[in-house]
Amino acid sequence: MMALFCGSAVLASCGRTTTTSGVLRVANDAGFGGAETMDPYDGNRTWPTINMVFDRLIGVDKDFSPISELALKWSSNDDLSEWTLALREGVKFHDGSDFNADDVVYSINRMIDPKFDSPVRAVLGVIKAVKAIDDYTVKLSLTTGEADLPSLLADYRALMTPVDSQATIGKTPIGTGPFKMETFDPEGTTVLVANENYFLGKPQLSKIEIITFADSQSAAQALSGDQVDLLLSIDGKSSSIFGDSAKFTLQTIPSGDWNAIDFRVDRKPFDDVRVRKALRIAADRQIITDTVLGVGGGVVACDTPVWTADPYRWDGPCAKDTEGAKALLAEAGYPDGIDIDIHTSDVEVHMVELVEAYQQQVKDAGIRVTIKMADASGFWDDVWMKESAFVDSWGQRPAAQVLNEVYRSTAAWNPTGQVDKALDAMLDDARSTLDLGQRKQKYAAIQEHLFENSGIFLPYHKTLTRVMSSKVRGINPIVIDAVRWEKISVS
Amino acid sequence: MKNLTRRALFTFGAFASLAVLSFLGIDALPGDGCTALHGRFATPAKIAECREEHRLNDSVVVRLGNWANDAVHGDLGYSIKRDDQVAQIVLPRIRNTAMLAVVAGLMAFPSAIVAGLLIGRYPQSRVGRIINTLGLVAMTLPEFVIATILWLVFSIWIPIFPGVTVVPSNATILELLPHIWMPALTLAAVVFAHSMRTMKAGVTTVKLMPFVESARLRGTGERVTLLRHILPAALPPVVNTIAVDAAWLLTGTFVTEAVFNYRGLGRLAIDAISDRDTAVILPIVLFGLGVYLTMSLIADMLVRLLDPRLRQRS
Repeated sequence: MMALFCGSAVLASCGRTTTTSGVLRVANDAGFGGAETMDPYDGNRTWPTINMVFDRLIGVDKDFSPISELALKWSSNDDLSEWTLALREGVKFHDGSDFNADDVVYSINRMIDPKFDSPVRAVLGVIKAVKAIDDYTVKLSLTTGEADLPSLLADYRALMTPVDSQATIGKTPIGTGPFKMETFDPEGTTVLVANENYFLGKPQLSKIEIITFADSQSAAQALSGDQVDLLLSIDGKSSSIFGDSAKFTLQTIPSGDWNAIDFRVDRKPFDDVRVRKALRIAADRQIITDTVLGVGGGVVACDTPVWTADPYRWDGPCAKDTEGAKALLAEAGYPDGIDIDIHTSDVEVHMVELVEAYQQQVKDAGIRVTIKMADASGFWDDVWMKESAFVDSWGQRPAAQVLNEVYRSTAAWNPTGQVDKALDAMLDDARSTLDLGQRKQKYAAIQEHLFENSGIFLPYHKTLTRVMSSKVRGINPIVIDAVRWEKISVS
Repeated sequence: MKNLTRRALFTFGAFASLAVLSFLGIDALPGDGCTALHGRFATPAKIAECREEHRLNDSVVVRLGNWANDAVHGDLGYSIKRDDQVAQIVLPRIRNTAMLAVVAGLMAFPSAIVAGLLIGRYPQSRVGRIINTLGLVAMTLPEFVIATILWLVFSIWIPIFPGVTVVPSNATILELLPHIWMPALTLAAVVFAHSMRTMKAGVTTVKLMPFVESARLRGTGERVTLLRHILPAALPPVVNTIAVDAAWLLTGTFVTEAVFNYRGLGRLAIDAISDRDTAVILPIVLFGLGVYLTMSLIADMLVRLLDPRLRQRS
């Protein structure tokens, strides 16, 4: 038996992979199980590959301020409802054709097409019409004034695609970006090669390989065995494997991802604002954050979906107040406390731990939580937005987007069913305010209003952990949306 | 002839009923290919359009009939979730799983027969006892434990094998070969003890039988006794054990595949079920049935060859 094993070992060592300089190997999860597409407006868009192949009109800088990508300049009319963008000239798509205003009109029309119903519509649905003024100028007409349109256009999916590409873009994408698609294989290895003529400078890497791992543990094995160079995110608890080795660089990145417990305000007992406030102040958010995400794994939020690096962030206070919660419950007619069911599922990480930690935190205030487990496969269809109380999970979005997408009375995904005309008016007012200082005050007032009224208990924003080989240079510790892929190198 | 006809009919019946059962089973699960495709972004309009496009509104009988008709004409159909021809998805995975099974089988079975023969013949040998114990330990450990130990030893401490598979499912055999040894070793370690112990038990019984003694009394050498007399008589039960283990190597390797990111059938099968991707599930299920039927047929034939009594009777 041993002879056989050794024989194979000799053979195998011949084929062992070694690092080639100038090639970045990225581990990718199999998030959509083979349904991945390169169409950036599709729900199954594969990320961050789309950001290597395509560009936005407007990008984000390290401090999340809007910077030029395919648009050079932008300006609005006085009430912020019409925006004019001047496009960069001389930019070519990977097939050699020119990028111009027609492509912008085509791309934005697909993003906002109600029939196609792209997830990007939730961000840019405020755009009513897009028109080419000349070859390198476009005008966007909005349904309302929106001061933060540039930040919304910097969404990682608001990418520019060539005219009439809908049928082919999913598997054979043509973009203007720093890398060109060579092989698209979402369940295997996707290969991208450098676009030598990239308008922001020739990429440092010659190639990017995106290797899919169905299991996060095997992706971590691949990094320790020098088979990949970059894990975009790793469970905070397994990051310790890589922490004390000079071979790896660990980055912790504040992000805008959040979990929440949503209470339907159109049902008893959550229709009473006092009950909602009690549910909110009965818990110590720092303990919940540390328990669910690990110490350092997240930043406390006082029910605001606006994340820490967003200029409109409001920080509280929201300390635990058991006596206050008891008093509010008694006032609302529950002097002996209250029994509630909260539905959850292991459809995503942290969703079960959150409700377990919450259950422990609020019992002192007489809030008795029963945890109802739902099957992962039917959670988003049958439980989310349907039960009276359930756990929720959202990705990072700019303030103007997340507030309108989740909290506005008429939003398709308003998960608590809350109709709050006062809030809607505040949202309209804030987004159409020209002065930044005033806008900040108005957005802060909105978040404080949510803390007093909304049905969403939102205890934290997550901190992501990224691990890479220390040979990789040029990736700043910022969210991946702001990474400049052309500047990355492997020494 | 009558036997052959009966066997053919049984085989066809087994395939047909398994296909029907799988089809109905997947249909009975909540959700369908379109809800799996759109996931959280599903809207009633999108689902309706998708169902229309993929003809999911037809009754299950009509869909089953269409599938069977296409399959008979060599068309395995289309995967909604993966937006690709099923043959393109499944065939490379079948090849990879078959390659892994062949390598693991070559590592495990010949060595198990030799080891079982020697341990059975010389039960007092110290080396034999050690191999026997190691085999038993490997058999009882979960696969992911063996896999992790092998990975740690052969990929991190003594880096001679690549730790996980990083080539796509349709890579050439040469590209895939370096990645095959560790999953194959894991699987070989799991199945080795089964056939080794069956062999050992057979030899222990056979070596005391009168015909072995008579061979010895005729002055036959020890080596010839072992190879000509004991081995053939002890093999038939081992052949059956190997057949079952070989079938498992082709169908039950999900855990090992997941640990090493090896792109075989196991992961695909599990994904396809949660995707309600009937067109992908059916060829996998039918392949599994084919494997078990083929293995039992081969085992029957081999046992017949090995055992002269069975040959004379038929």
